Amino acid sequence: MINVSELQKSYGDLQAVKGVSFRAKAGTIFGLLGPNGAGKSTTINCISGLIKPTAGNIKVNGFDIISEATKAKQSLGVVPQELAIYEDLSALDNLRYWGAAYGLGGKALERRVNHVLENIGLMDRARDLPKNYSGGMKRRLNFGCGLVHEPKVLLLDEPTVGVDVQSRGRLFDLIKEERDKGTCVLYTTHYMEEAENLCDELAIIDHGKIIAAGTLQDLRAQVGENDIIQLSGVFNAKKLKAAIAKLKPTPEILSLSDESLALAMKEAARHLPAVLKAVSATGAEIRESRLTEPNLESLFLKLTGTELRA
Amino acid sequence: MRFLALTVIKEIKRRFNDPLGLIMWLMIPLFLGGMLTSVLGGASGPTPKAVLLLTDLDDTFISQAIPQALSGGQLADMIEIQEVSRDVGNTRINDDDGSAHLVIPKGFSEAYLNKQPIALELTTNPAQQISPKIIQDVLASLLDLGHYIQLVLGDEIKLIVDGDASADLSITEVAAMISGKIEKLGPYAFPPVIEVVDETPVPEGQSFNLTLLMFPGVLVMAVVFAGQGISGIYWQDREKGILQRWRAGPNGMWVYWTGLFISSMFILGLITFPILLGGFYLIDIPYTKLAPSLLWIMLTGPLLFGTLVLVQVMAPSRRAGGVISTLLVFPLLMVGGSFFPKETLPDVIRAMSDYTPNGQILEPLKQYFLGTYGLSGLFSTLLPLMAVTIALIAVASVIADRKDLR
Ligand SMILES: Nc1ncnc2c1ncn2[C@@H]1O[C@H](COP(=O)(O)OP(=O)(O)OP(=O)(O)O)[C@@H](O)[C@H]1O
Ligand SMILES: [Mg+2]
Repeated sequence: MINVSELQKSYGDLQAVKGVSFRAKAGTIFGLLGPNGAGKSTTINCISGLIKPTAGNIKVNGFDIISEATKAKQSLGVVPQELAIYEDLSALDNLRYWGAAYGLGGKALERRVNHVLENIGLMDRARDLPKNYSGGMKRRLNFGCGLVHEPKVLLLDEPTVGVDVQSRGRLFDLIKEERDKGTCVLYTTHYMEEAENLCDELAIIDHGKIIAAGTLQDLRAQVGENDIIQLSGVFNAKKLKAAIAKLKPTPEILSLSDESLALAMKEAARHLPAVLKAVSATGAEIRESRLTEPNLESLFLKLTGTELRA
Repeated sequence: MRFLALTVIKEIKRRFNDPLGLIMWLMIPLFLGGMLTSVLGGASGPTPKAVLLLTDLDDTFISQAIPQALSGGQLADMIEIQEVSRDVGNTRINDDDGSAHLVIPKGFSEAYLNKQPIALELTTNPAQQISPKIIQDVLASLLDLGHYIQLVLGDEIKLIVDGDASADLSITEVAAMISGKIEKLGPYAFPPVIEVVDETPVPEGQSFNLTLLMFPGVLVMAVVFAGQGISGIYWQDREKGILQRWRAGPNGMWVYWTGLFISSMFILGLITFPILLGGFYLIDIPYTKLAPSLLWIMLTGPLLFGTLVLVQVMAPSRRAGGVISTLLVFPLLMVGGSFFPKETLPDVIRAMSDYTPNGQILEPLKQYFLGTYGLSGLFSTLLPLMAVTIALIAVASVIADRKDLR
């Protein structure tokens, strides 16, 4: 449903997206996971035709987003990262209007509008103007406006930022419902948990490049059984490197600086005391230690040497 | 087509959800228009007669000029002056007998002639509302005039007072002379103040025409304000992500712009209709001209929106757009004949007037009201004006596309 190949986008000298390719199928939720500035929004905005790619191809529902824009856009639903709602029109009017923009009308539109209102939790505020809404309520309406017309392809750019936990759950229900109807959902986030709970397939993006992709299982396999040990404090990087090399079993060094250290090893919990002892022996001052089991975060750490939430 | 219609309805709904904006577009011209009209002596109604109790402690011919002036000419119909002693005056005001009590203090003339501050004591009757106000206003304007005359003619008056020539003049004659001068100077010196008070029907002719000349200016002023307001919606929609959603959708941007264009017609119709009705009623324009006038404004009014939205789209930011378009509005109103009828403008400005969009809307309408133009005259420039409007909006939309699609 979404076919992105060799997508590149530059802003002047800055290469925001450097050759991204992926394929998102109908009936799946495809996650684009990456830290701030990774190029998620740039990618999604190219797919929705809002910005022109510097190079590469994008097809939506089989139509090229540039040369067959109208047809491609007909199957799209977009929930932009920034709000895009009429704040001087009620939620009801917003949903009706954006539904009509894609040709919906009559009873079908009313039914759908009510269903969406229910799920974004704005039924009782439906006739109020969004300018009097809270930030989270506006986000929920923004979300509703993107999928009121039951699009074949749904682009969601961090739709849950600033939305409380209960409301978030209902938004997820709605997304899954769309997926189960056969919609192809592209979902960007920098929340690991969201990606793990929601997405059927994932691509991890950093500095404009996809550094890992596949199903959750595929990615977990890439992490292997290694746990991650993260330490912060005051280190002597050189001495530390030597000390760690002497440890048995020897942990893999993911990143090392005078302030932080990240190691990967099996059964880290069991070996942690030995590791801490060795580190202390170099004269290092340990301020904090953290142990993580294999997950996307550790994969990201392993692949990039930096934390996702940096 | 269905979606375009929905877009137009949606835009109108938005304006109604923010009624303050609508009201401003309507009220500012009405307010300015009302002010200008009253200056020019538009409306008239029955005026209650005010009773002024006067105590003249100065008792010189200059102090006596005050009651003379107050009861001269058309003012005589409005103010009745009764000379009383100070005590009687105070008592009568307290007993609600009389509108106001004016005391001219001793030494008034001297102060006046030596260009020193003058203090008159005016006690108004709080129980009466309109009459004391009239006296206050008249007095204020009289003193303004007195001040003016003192500046301009003070030395002459002094000459009359001090020199031999005055010996032959009776007090009444001098008073009449001053009063006459005031009347002559009045319209030139301080027309607003004196005319506000003067509610009696002005002789047919000049003043009637002046009001008629002013009226289309007020009308088009509303068109200009509304056009400026609607042009700002571009930035609003851009900053609120609305344009993004449009661009990601299957409907061309032309629907967006056409929606704004057509909705602006209805908004303009809505705003100018009450002004038209009021004006027709007050100036006695035949109501058969109402529908064509409204139609003219609805069809040509968006020209202002087109002009100003082009400015907005070219501006680098919302703030800049707002500031530049606002700065543009006032010269446009001035040159285009909304503040002062084109006929009263200096030649140079009058020549430029024809090149302003509001001037183009205003002039045919004015000629239509005056009866110089018939229907065909009114609508003779309709098509070119609409074509220019559409062209302006089209250019704006292209520039907006360039700006947004990076
Ligand atoms: N209009 C623009 N002009 C110049 N640079 C831009 C523009 N938009 C984005 N960038 C740059 O492109 C890079 C990728 O930005 P993008 O918005 O795609 O990141 P993101 O992954 O969506 O991040 P976030 O999680 O913060 O939303 C960043 O370095 C950003 O500074
Ligand atoms: Mg983003």
